[in-house]
Amino acid sequence: MLAALLPDRLPWYFAGPALGLLVVGFFMFTNQPLGATGAYVETAKTLRRDPSAVSWRAFYFVGIALGGLLAVLLKEDGFVRRTGYDVLLSADDMNLSLPVASAVIFVGAVVMGYGARMAGGCTSGHGICGTAQRSPASWAATISFMSAAVVTTFFVNQI
Amino acid sequence: MKPATAHKIVGLLFGAGFGFVLAAANLHEYSTIHSMLSLEEFDVFLLMGAAIGVSLPLLALLERNKAKTVLAGTLSLSRSPVKRQNVVGGALFGVGWALSGTCPAPALVMLASGAGLAVITIAGLFIGLGLRDAQTSRASSATVTGDGEHRNIPVAR
Repeated sequence: MLAALLPDRLPWYFAGPALGLLVVGFFMFTNQPLGATGAYVETAKTLRRDPSAVSWRAFYFVGIALGGLLAVLLKEDGFVRRTGYDVLLSADDMNLSLPVASAVIFVGAVVMGYGARMAGGCTSGHGICGTAQRSPASWAATISFMSAAVVTTFFVNQI
Repeated sequence: MKPATAHKIVGLLFGAGFGFVLAAANLHEYSTIHSMLSLEEFDVFLLMGAAIGVSLPLLALLERNKAKTVLAGTLSLSRSPVKRQNVVGGALFGVGWALSGTCPAPALVMLASGAGLAVITIAGLFIGLGLRDAQTSRASSATVTGDGEHRNIPVAR
């Protein structure tokens, strides 16, 4: 640990506005939305040495991981207390075996990636940046993914 | 400083800020997302609402005043009409989000926090994105378009 500077969980009324300011700040520097899908796409292109890759998005991609790492370091027992995917595997919770959990996560991630590309954004892209720009496409995408996610979770909870 | 370098530094710093906030608010934990989508806990909805509540009016004001961005000319927000792909893609995204318990950015934070299974999530995301690009044959074409994604803006030199 560096020092326990962060609480176990930063409340929404700090984190939300902070995120909002980051979105505005990013627009005011780069005139681009702070969306994660584009970061994955451009990072993949950069790794493939595609000449049309927007390489600075790869720095953004790495930045997200680094910033997250810093925050965990600043939480008391951050690496111990974090649970990650443990909920899926733990006997008290979903109690899935590792192969089954891995398969669910993988299929989910592939569908998610495909859907994000089709929709033109994800929770950060459409959900926050797009809605903040007042884009009808983003409102529609956001309502769609929120509904689908809630319904899917309902079925997952039945299992 | 060259514009390209400035973009890299800005990208890195804002990415770090984003990742930091995600981790601080525990958005990188499967349990947080599961509680949210099970409608047991509303913190994340409130968080997103607060983020929009802060950014929407500020962006509207800046746009109306034709504010100049530091690296890329006059602020230009992007608004598109609803297309089928937004809704269908959104629904698929939602299903995948519920199953994998995270979205693209928090998945990176998950990995950084030591949740090894996030490697599978990140790999799956790359594959899913790639499949769609292969299907629409735009893997190598000009950069994409949703209002939430990167767009081509002529950069002022």
